[in-house]
Amino acid sequence: MNWNKKFLRYLNFNVPFAVILLILIGFISISSAVEINQAGSGALRFLQKQAVSVVLGLLVVFIMQAFDYKIFKQYAILIYISMLLMLTATLFLGQGVSGGAHWISIGAFNLQTSELSKIMLILVLAAVIDNNSDDMGYLKGMFLPSIVAFIPFSLVILQNDLGTALVLFFIYLLMLFAGGGNFKYMASVFGGGFLVIVSTITAHVFFNTPLPFLKEYQLNRLIVFINPNIDPHGSGYNIIQSIIALGSGRSFGKGLFAGTQNQLNFLPEKHTDFIFSVIGEEFGFLGTAVVILLFLFLLWQFLSIAENARDRYGYLVMIGIIAMFLFHVLENVGMTMGIMPITGIPLPFISYGGTFMLTSLTAVAIAININLRKNKLMF
Amino acid sequence: MDRHKIIRIVILLIFTILLSRAAYLQIVQGDYYYELSEGNRISVRPINAPRGRIYDKRGEIIVSNRLSYNLYLMQNEIPPESSAAEILNKLSQISSLAESRLLQNYKNSEVDTAVEPILLARHLDKEDMVIIAENKDILPGLIVNESSMRDYIYPEKLVHATGYIGEINEQELISFNEQGYNYRGGDFVGKGGLEKEYEFYLNGERGAEQIEVNSRGKKIKTIGIKNPEAGNDLILNINFSLQSVLEDLLEKNYNQLRELAAEDEDRSTPTGIAAVVMDIDTGGILASASLPDYNLNLFAKGISSSDYQELINDPLRPMINRTTMTAVPPASIFKLVTGTAAMEELGVRANTSFYDSNGTFSIPNWSRPFKNWNPVGEGKLDFVKAIARSNNVVFYELGYELYKEYKGEKLAEYAHKYGLGTKTDIDLPSEKSGLVPDDSWKRSNLNQGWYPGDSVNLSIGQGSLLTTPVQIASLISTVAAEGVSYKPQLVKEIRGADGDIVETFKPEIRIDLRDEVEPEVFEALKEGMHDVVNKSYGTASRHFSDFPVKAAGKTGTAQTGGANHGWFGGFAPYEDPQIAIVVFIENGGSSAYSVPIAREIMEYYFGFKNYENGRKKIYYNSREE
Repeated sequence: MNWNKKFLRYLNFNVPFAVILLILIGFISISSAVEINQAGSGALRFLQKQAVSVVLGLLVVFIMQAFDYKIFKQYAILIYISMLLMLTATLFLGQGVSGGAHWISIGAFNLQTSELSKIMLILVLAAVIDNNSDDMGYLKGMFLPSIVAFIPFSLVILQNDLGTALVLFFIYLLMLFAGGGNFKYMASVFGGGFLVIVSTITAHVFFNTPLPFLKEYQLNRLIVFINPNIDPHGSGYNIIQSIIALGSGRSFGKGLFAGTQNQLNFLPEKHTDFIFSVIGEEFGFLGTAVVILLFLFLLWQFLSIAENARDRYGYLVMIGIIAMFLFHVLENVGMTMGIMPITGIPLPFISYGGTFMLTSLTAVAIAININLRKNKLMF
Repeated sequence: MDRHKIIRIVILLIFTILLSRAAYLQIVQGDYYYELSEGNRISVRPINAPRGRIYDKRGEIIVSNRLSYNLYLMQNEIPPESSAAEILNKLSQISSLAESRLLQNYKNSEVDTAVEPILLARHLDKEDMVIIAENKDILPGLIVNESSMRDYIYPEKLVHATGYIGEINEQELISFNEQGYNYRGGDFVGKGGLEKEYEFYLNGERGAEQIEVNSRGKKIKTIGIKNPEAGNDLILNINFSLQSVLEDLLEKNYNQLRELAAEDEDRSTPTGIAAVVMDIDTGGILASASLPDYNLNLFAKGISSSDYQELINDPLRPMINRTTMTAVPPASIFKLVTGTAAMEELGVRANTSFYDSNGTFSIPNWSRPFKNWNPVGEGKLDFVKAIARSNNVVFYELGYELYKEYKGEKLAEYAHKYGLGTKTDIDLPSEKSGLVPDDSWKRSNLNQGWYPGDSVNLSIGQGSLLTTPVQIASLISTVAAEGVSYKPQLVKEIRGADGDIVETFKPEIRIDLRDEVEPEVFEALKEGMHDVVNKSYGTASRHFSDFPVKAAGKTGTAQTGGANHGWFGGFAPYEDPQIAIVVFIENGGSSAYSVPIAREIMEYYFGFKNYENGRKKIYYNSREE
């Protein structure tokens, strides 16, 4: 135990404020998306499950404050090993839909292990980068963090979970950058890699060359946002429907439960991946702007917590958390508006889905922990 | 520059892009998307899903679909200067569609919103389709949509098992949608047979096309399509070749018997005939037929009310599946049950001998004697021979002994053990459970106690006892397999339209008497059934002489007060039972007519006979499946 009443003085109240507001918006939007206004929709079940995850998450927020976040650094190896075991177990024991093994059933809960791996990677990567901080400008310093990130990344790819793999990659990228990774190397490796991927896909589309790693449907989802009309019956359908829903909300929205795209079921996956479209349709630009600005506000608080962190480890963890949320928001909101590929990752605090809610609140718990233990102002 | 600052700038940049995009979609282009979504310029046209097909066990298609075209009215596509009435009037003038009917369908449609299509006419003919297409400009709001209708490859075969379809009624609509399915008025649903039993598998899921229309109701472009999902296909346990042979045989015999009866007034006129062939190892129904039946094509487009009235008012009741929906006394076939009870409870053995002195049995202090079918006394005979001769006197005596020990309960108890009096749970709707009478039933229904005469009557399967042919098939199967039988099952497997298996029905044990009844009992019963068919004195031996496979069976002639019902239940081969057969002739006079039908089916099944009517002898190996 490591607790001091004085800690509370340092609490940045904006963080819980923004998080609670986002969760409330989430509950309202999910209610509408699962058609709680219609009899027999079975909607309560969704809300109950979501509420259970929120309560569990809040417990984590409280319990975690009793420990100093330095234990995550001390036990980084343990965290890393359990993450790899968990991901490997999911590959063999996991259950999932459409060819992917995404979750392990624990009692009534389906634990999506790849979701939890996001936080674990952040904690481990921060430790590795912190320990190598002197060498980060050189290849040898960047080597170990890269390996550490690559193994779980591959395991998640094997689970067929492209969305989470991209999140892991983005976390790694931003932490490496913030941790002082050599920019020239990073630019050439990742910029070059990006070019290779783009040219491989272009070659596949135009010359039908074979495609490594990706399945055809994943590729379709990835590139269809560039022009939804190439496949209006399949992958393009979701984007078209989502954009109509969002756009039709105009400035102030059609009102709760009054979104026709939502209520007539033209919106796909509307309580999970496309919840933002429901918000856009029913609350208009007012709703979307509030949500976008709340996320910006939250990330801004995280940035200041990062700057004021007691040590470099805390700073790096905060950057990882920022990267995770940033990518989720960019990808999810961007996808619903047709400017990002469809990868099916949820909107933090708002989308229906227990494991990610738990992951998000755990991230908040860690952020608050770092916030409370900033030592610069401790007298 | 400080890396932390760069991160701040990147975040600001990303959020600025997101916010600008939202503003662009919702404020700049908001009105456009609003109109699209509100249906002013958007229309949702239904795409119908084809119903699942039905195949026999070898993959021969029995029921399929063919393209059909339906006419719909999209109210929201009608321009303001026109009206639905005007359009329907124009349409009726240039096409063969009657205005009154169109108006009626239009008015009866129960759509909540203008974006929902109204079904005006089904199964358009080619001429009308051409007329509608050519006059598109003066008929805004009318759309012709592909749909499917049932295509019965053999509209007069497997009629009752397949079952018919018809337009969904109000109660069905409410109840199906409450169960979470998505039905609409005008949909066709299964009303009988497998079509009804597997409705939610066969029925696919309707798709929709969301299109943008201009102010004159013309389609500008497709916005989105929800593809329909075809219904699942049923793969049956039915062997369709066997089924065809069985139906031809039943029809031939049924017609012959009816002709003979017309000529000879002493003969009774059969009012129906039914047969079931069941796989003893799985309970799979290999063939199942019931006559009279009807032509499935009557229902494909929706039956006319005059045709329907004719069918339901037909005194021969062609809509009744006599394999499962007709329950009558099984008569002497029930001696298998009485025999089981006697051996288990009275210590009777295969060689226990009985004496029939004068063909009658009298209950002490009871005036009227019970008669055997043979007016002459058959003398000394053992238990096995009593089965082979179907000697009533012996079974009367056993029934009476059981009464003395246990009153009216024991025999009923054994009947229940064999699954009589309860539905077999065959996968068909409206199955009858039949009736096994006992003391409490008689008290509450006839207000009388159970008399010794009731037990004596029941011992030979007469009285209030009622069984369906499929229950008897199950009973025969249980004896043949010495105590075990499986739930009768028509559908073997359900597959998605893509061929993936959705569900496989594994054989499900329904009756298991192995712990309750000694193997010796089944051996004795089977031996008796063997002798019925193979010993010169057996009641069915005449029709099975020099039969190449050893078969076994039991005859039954049920007295009803009017004409007698003829039964035969058998199995083959005797040493290694594979199939159970039941043939039932309603009001057919005697079991004698049902035996040759069973024999012919066995011959065909085991490959000993070439069949004409265009079918080659290809089923030599049928039993290996």
